[in-house]
Amino acid sequence: MDKAVLGLFTYADDLLDAAKKLEGSGYDITIFSPIPLGHEIEHKLGPRKNHIKYFTFIGSVAGLFFGLLLTLGTAAMYVIPRGGRPIWSITPTLLMSYETTILIGVMFTLMSFLFFSKLPSFSKKIYDPQINVDYFGLLIDGNLRGRYDEVERILRDNGANEIKRVEETEYNS
Amino acid sequence: MAPHHMSDNQTGNAISYKEVNDDVVRTMTETGKWYYIALAGAFSGFLAFWILPWAYQIYKGQGVSGLNTPDFWGIYLTNFVFWIGISHSGTLLSAILFITKTPWRRSIYRSAEAMTFFSVATAAVFIFVHMGRPWNFYWTMPYPNQRQLWLNFQSPLMFDVFAISTYATSSMIFLYFGSIPDLAAVRDRVTGWRKQVYSALALGWRGTDSEWHWLFKAYTFFAVFIIPLAVSVHSIVSWDFALSKVPGLAKTIFAPYFVVGAIYSGSAGIVTLMIIFRKAMKIEKYITLNHFDKLGMLLLVMSLLWSYINVIEVFTGWYANTSAENETLIYRMFTTPYAYMFWLMIVTNTILPLLFIFKKCRTSILACLVVSLGINVGMWLERYLILTTSLPRKFLPYMWHDYIPSWVEISMTLGSFCFFAMLFLLFVKLWPSVSIYEVKEDIGIPMRRGGGHH
Repeated sequence: MDKAVLGLFTYADDLLDAAKKLEGSGYDITIFSPIPLGHEIEHKLGPRKNHIKYFTFIGSVAGLFFGLLLTLGTAAMYVIPRGGRPIWSITPTLLMSYETTILIGVMFTLMSFLFFSKLPSFSKKIYDPQINVDYFGLLIDGNLRGRYDEVERILRDNGANEIKRVEETEYNS
Repeated sequence: MAPHHMSDNQTGNAISYKEVNDDVVRTMTETGKWYYIALAGAFSGFLAFWILPWAYQIYKGQGVSGLNTPDFWGIYLTNFVFWIGISHSGTLLSAILFITKTPWRRSIYRSAEAMTFFSVATAAVFIFVHMGRPWNFYWTMPYPNQRQLWLNFQSPLMFDVFAISTYATSSMIFLYFGSIPDLAAVRDRVTGWRKQVYSALALGWRGTDSEWHWLFKAYTFFAVFIIPLAVSVHSIVSWDFALSKVPGLAKTIFAPYFVVGAIYSGSAGIVTLMIIFRKAMKIEKYITLNHFDKLGMLLLVMSLLWSYINVIEVFTGWYANTSAENETLIYRMFTTPYAYMFWLMIVTNTILPLLFIFKKCRTSILACLVVSLGINVGMWLERYLILTTSLPRKFLPYMWHDYIPSWVEISMTLGSFCFFAMLFLLFVKLWPSVSIYEVKEDIGIPMRRGGGHH
């Protein structure tokens, strides 16, 4: 069975150099870090898409219509006449819709986050607990047969502290 | 170990990444005897001062409280508004400081957000207490029923149900999703039952680039949603009162007045809580005098805003010059016992916070503690005065009646503080109460070539 290679780095810029080189040579890479490196990674490897915003937008619009439907619909279904005042009253309807816009917008954002980040995921995956303390990790997987030496050389040349050949390891080992 | 140090961070100390993990996990796993004593105290206080009197009230009926015609709104709703107000700083402040990328947010925001969530919970329970027949709560939910009877969405009380449930849900999501990377860090360090719990809570987080990317994007949207939401929640709470026709309540300034008051009391709550929290958890190196300096400036600004609106509120009442408005103002400002409360409120909320003009006071823990506690006493009195000097002095003098809270109400007020303390004590043991990854961001990204940048 093929093994993946995991390089652990102390410095973020070393990691990014190695990542750029390996990605340029067509390897599948995954970067691990104890802190978000979004800005630095985009700077080095190019900008990434933000699909969540579409879902947030759709959710908010859905929430707005849900609020309108709820307030106007229930008012129409059970009419309470109040001395000539409007049955469909604008201000309270907008207030309710304001809240449901936010609520359902938040829900859609949450769902799309879980969808795109592929969480929750409790299957066994390659991971090293040091990554959550003070190491930056670079995982190279895919078909590496015969190319281990090259990958490991690139990692080493770019200052990796530790290089491991790993299989699907125990999840939290 | 590599030198993961920076000296120009908010904490002002050279701290390594590993130390942050160690310290935060330590606050969760090492428990001294004082913690248990405090928890037992808070829990017994909650039982004795809240649950038992509430059971008594449910058994005997709402008559055991001091609520009676015409003052149907008393301490219960005072407490409701007070706790909702306290909740307003945590999440709102955290969201604003996140969007503006303010560095001193990082070590305090987690516990501030928890404070939000717990005080919303405390406030929500007061609605149940005030309801008299809490088992009928589901009547406030829109559900299809045989009589096709729906809610009256034109009532501010219904806005409140939706606003507060949306706020509680969103605050919880904001708190939880901001914590996932830290829950994973805790997962990697603990054993036994904790391992299982945090493995589940961390959702299998590994810290990959893609996870961080999506978390950050989603978190930004949460923050953007939270800000208008929080403003709307306290505006709506104010409309519970301001949409009535009662003198002293029907004021157009009420929405901004309540929002400002909420942020003011919430920020003071954060200061009080942080002073106790950093001392008890020995995390002085993360929550430093610099944080109190910044929070002090915020309190000073909010104090000036609050005082301005308070002057305007009295002024518009006086300028209207109707007998009903005048009576409310005289009752509130010059009649015992309310006059004592009113002028005490002015001292604690307008005069005392002026001390924060001086940096020496902003960076003195004692001054911060005194002023922040004073503000919260004052803000509680403000809500008490709003409710108890308006309804008892409505238009017809033959209906006038002074509100006197009963022991049941006073006891439940005490109990609510015990309940909040209990929830917060449980939180600091069960949750990473200082954000591990954001304190690390503050320390800086370790770079071989040149220092890390923020």
